[in-house]
Amino acid sequence: MTAADRSALAHQVTLLELVDRVLNKGVVLSGDITLSVADVDLVYVGLRVLLSSVATLEEQGEQTALEGAFR
Amino acid sequence: MGGLDVVVSNVADDEVTQDAVLKHAEVVEQLLGRSRAVLPARFDRPLADEEELNTAVSAAARELERGLRRVRGCVELGLRVIAPSAEAVPKGGSGADYMHARLAEERRRRRLLDELDAPLARLSEATAPAGSSGGDAFVASYLVATRNVPAFRKAVDALEEAHPQLTIVCTGPWPPYSFGTGVE
Amino acid sequence: MSTSRTPVDKILAASGDLHRIAGELEHVQEAFPRRVNADPEKVERGLAQLVLTLVELLRQLMERQALRRMETGTLSDEQLDRLGETFMKLEQRMTELKAEFGLEDRDLNLNLGPLGDLL
Repeated sequence: MTAADRSALAHQVTLLELVDRVLNKGVVLSGDITLSVADVDLVYVGLRVLLSSVATLEEQGEQTALEGAFR
Repeated sequence: MGGLDVVVSNVADDEVTQDAVLKHAEVVEQLLGRSRAVLPARFDRPLADEEELNTAVSAAARELERGLRRVRGCVELGLRVIAPSAEAVPKGGSGADYMHARLAEERRRRRLLDELDAPLARLSEATAPAGSSGGDAFVASYLVATRNVPAFRKAVDALEEAHPQLTIVCTGPWPPYSFGTGVE
Repeated sequence: MSTSRTPVDKILAASGDLHRIAGELEHVQEAFPRRVNADPEKVERGLAQLVLTLVELLRQLMERQALRRMETGTLSDEQLDRLGETFMKLEQRMTELKAEFGLEDRDLNLNLGPLGDLL
């Protein structure tokens, strides 16, 4: 890798880290998606809400609750 | 407001762009140059004017002060580790074989995570594990007192030497974004 | 997305193949609020990505739960075998579905914030 390549990579990594922090979401699929048709927002999918429920299930009843949920 | 200094900017539209993010980051960095305690605070909703801001901040003053005490004299350091992809669990075995192999894999992963985190957590005031980037990655932010930063960096160097097969990146110092406070 | 600003380099230490992290940079743009538009070609892929991400999440959660029960010794040999067979089949099916929709593992990655260690 040339010095220029490495420098470019370093900048990219810094940008990744910075965006990660400021937006507090991470730079992979963030779980907040708006489904729209012709730019009209129709459905908001908040995956973190769904996942919170699963986490609570886990805490509350350990195995049995989770088994029940996925039967 | 409420005994605290608050830095704000007016947002004409709620367009979140890369440029806006970078501008925001620049401002926060400059603040860190002027004060030992800068607390990124998230508001649940847009605020129409200074009066609304004053109300929100005053109501949360105690929590915000606690937050400021926590980050005073500290910076955030980020760690990003990527392991080479785990070998696929060998097919063609029984179901029980699969489960045993998976369990062994999980235990290996947990051990590695602990090896990476423990020496750094020891030098930190707090840790914030970030969202998972996948099974073969470890991402975390550490709140480190400025005086401990050199020791932290040494610890990262030691990890790099101990694990030559891993990709390890340590970044910072950042304002304490991951150790901020939410305001209702 | 062009920008006139570049952040100051913040790297303190780096070892190994940085390209592996640089790979995640393709997803920087996905951090910004986005829409899945009803462009017939894209919307199906967008929905597939959403659905498969959830399926993958559930699969991993179930596997994780099963491993926990393995450790506490509350599974019979027969249960263990059946679980393993099922998970193997699920994994195989996921591979097929991903290929069908042209999705990679990294496309199915959820950032869960504080819930991150679910995956």
